Amino acid sequence: MIEIIGVSKSYNRGAVKAVDNVNLTIRDGEIFGFLGPNGAGKTTLIKMITGILNADEGTIKINGKDIRKNPIDAKMQFGFVPDDPNIFARLTGLEYLNFMADMYMVPPENRLDLIQTLLKRFEMGAAAGDLIQSYSHGMKQKIVVIGALLHNPPVWILDEPMTGLDPRSSFDLKEMMREHADAGKTVFFSTHVLDVAEKVCDRLAIINKGRVILFGSMQEIREHLRENQSLENLFLELTENE
Amino acid sequence: MSRFLSLLKTLLINSFGISAIRAKARKNKLEYLKVLGLGAAIAAGVSPTLWLYSKILIDGYDLLAPLEQQGAILLLGIVMVSTMIFFFGIFYVINLFYFARDAQNLLALPLSGWQVLGARFSVVIAYEYLTELPFLLPPLLIFGIKSGASLTYWLYALIGFLLIPLLPLSLATIPTVVIMRFANLGRRKDLFKILGGLMVIALAIGYQFLFQKSGINATDPAFLQNLLTDQYGLVNLISRVFPSTKYLGMALISADKVAGLINLLIFAALSLLAVALAWLVGDKLYFKGLVGSSETAARRKMLTSSDYKRLGKGSPALLSYCMKEIRLLFRVPSYFMNCVLTNLLVPVILIIPFLLQSHNETEAMPWEDLIAQPEGQTILMVVIVGAVIFLAGSNAITATSLSREGKEFFISKYIPLSYQQQLLAKLLSGYIFGTIGAVLLLIGAIVLMPLDITLIGMILAVSLVAIGPITEAGLLIDIFRPKLDWDNEQKAVKQNLNVVFSILFSILLGGAVLYIVVRFIHSPTLAATFMLCCFGLAAVIMYYLLMTRGIEQYRKLEG
Repeated sequence: MIEIIGVSKSYNRGAVKAVDNVNLTIRDGEIFGFLGPNGAGKTTLIKMITGILNADEGTIKINGKDIRKNPIDAKMQFGFVPDDPNIFARLTGLEYLNFMADMYMVPPENRLDLIQTLLKRFEMGAAAGDLIQSYSHGMKQKIVVIGALLHNPPVWILDEPMTGLDPRSSFDLKEMMREHADAGKTVFFSTHVLDVAEKVCDRLAIINKGRVILFGSMQEIREHLRENQSLENLFLELTENE
Repeated sequence: MSRFLSLLKTLLINSFGISAIRAKARKNKLEYLKVLGLGAAIAAGVSPTLWLYSKILIDGYDLLAPLEQQGAILLLGIVMVSTMIFFFGIFYVINLFYFARDAQNLLALPLSGWQVLGARFSVVIAYEYLTELPFLLPPLLIFGIKSGASLTYWLYALIGFLLIPLLPLSLATIPTVVIMRFANLGRRKDLFKILGGLMVIALAIGYQFLFQKSGINATDPAFLQNLLTDQYGLVNLISRVFPSTKYLGMALISADKVAGLINLLIFAALSLLAVALAWLVGDKLYFKGLVGSSETAARRKMLTSSDYKRLGKGSPALLSYCMKEIRLLFRVPSYFMNCVLTNLLVPVILIIPFLLQSHNETEAMPWEDLIAQPEGQTILMVVIVGAVIFLAGSNAITATSLSREGKEFFISKYIPLSYQQQLLAKLLSGYIFGTIGAVLLLIGAIVLMPLDITLIGMILAVSLVAIGPITEAGLLIDIFRPKLDWDNEQKAVKQNLNVVFSILFSILLGGAVLYIVVRFIHSPTLAATFMLCCFGLAAVIMYYLLMTRGIEQYRKLEG
């Protein structure tokens, strides 16, 4: 579970409010989508949840662990897939995964099996021995996803995870997100692709200019839609009028 | 504007971060003051050294004036600067022309080889002017003022100042471009780039020693007599390292004569010719060395069970983090060149001249008498420990350890490894390389002179403790002003002022402790004990600061 209580963040000494008093609770066993146009504050909020940015105000708890007061325990709760998978280009895929396994203290008994299974599932077995530098964008994304899943985290946080993935991998990832949620775990992901949000999410929030402007289950959001209006139209309407 | 000039302007603005400063200043006017303050701090830091340098030059002038050889101080400055530009130039050329991530981006533009190489060359020249300033301005000013020089001298001095970097930088460019053309073959391109860079440096060192050694026999009385009585004796000797510099020296010394003008013209012609040659070679070979140099070999071979087994059982997180640091230091060519290689190369450069010196069996090395006495042993200890401290301060490993992460810094913020452990891992990587540098220096000393085991033990112990506060200070500096916003890796290590601050700290701390030892302590044992206490105390203080203020600041940093 992720609890976001009254979280705000501003830049340039308060001149630009990137995230403005956001309150959200993401429950166990659900896939929660976070939608918004470019620059709406999605990545800023995700970075605050993961401890990369400090919130100016408010509290963020992951499975009850406060990211500010108890950062290491909170960080052990989640696996994170950043929006830019260009990381550690000069390590091999395998070295990267082993590094992540060390960081998350994945026990040696099942580490090898886990790595092999995940590499196979993402069809990365043949590339794992090569430098990440040699990977395509999609392959980089896959290796980062595997790295985030190694410690079987109760919470999975993904920032724009579908970008750059081919249709097959995108499908697999969505399947994995579903499996994860069905196993009682939490999946929180941001996207600006409405189609993905509509098909995958149990609940979603739309954010614009730092504020959550719509929040609810797909059912509740559909009730918002007028006859024949698509989510796309609603999204455009909401973010335009703001 | 011509495409060449437009490219040059853009590269200059980008390299010196002018737009970034302007953008910050637009938000906050104090930003300009910050830049000025930084400049003032650096000036204040180097001023004692500059003062000492000027003092030596003034004394040198007064000493040489009766022999009418005072012009030698000019030559000394010019040759020193040319040699430095040559060596720094190799690093700049390799880093900026080939290793920089943005080097490739220009390939897609409709520009020819000489335009891109020429623009980058000019950017390096701009950097070299900054290098030149503190070394050349004092001799030019001192000679000019003391000799009551005419306007022509000052004009020639200005022209000379502008021309000086051209020739050594061209000499650094030509072999680099040629070698990199052939290094850009095969599959292991990063490795070849590093090997290519090493080869250029080896060639450069070889060239220097060849020239230094040629035809000098310090024991030949005729040579010595000629050196002292001939008005240009010293000028001729010093300029052997860079023969072309003699013309500039002559031009400045006899600025008011026709000979002065002719010499200046010769110097200018040689410099411009060298540039033309470098750009011509660049036009033919630069792009060939660059196209595809970022390709990475990939086997795409299924891993076997033995590959997986090599992973082992994993390591403690701190060690794994430290290994990641070390792997990247070796694998990113600009990190390897600037951080690892300097550490290995400096001891070698310091030792080679002594090894190469024609050594007569019956003739003792100059220090053999010295180290027979306790005072001499203390001095030797001070020299080696001083070199170790300077090396640890300048290897840039801890002073750029956050900066090197750049945009990847966010990873350090979200992984579940405490900030304390992360800092310890970074410290450990810096300490390991500092120790390697110290051991290499010590091995060099053991090869060159007969040292007894107690002295070796004492030097090693003091060195290992002295590396502590230097690496800790480097890390602390980088935590407080990390340079995370860069577009190519070499900016993190090469154009990072934190390295300068780290060097200044090592000079100040090392200088203060070693000065006290040289001035007041004669017994080697006492000197070692004193140094151990001083550096040990500094290490404890810096560690405390790192674990309190450092961690607090690290927590505040955002990825």
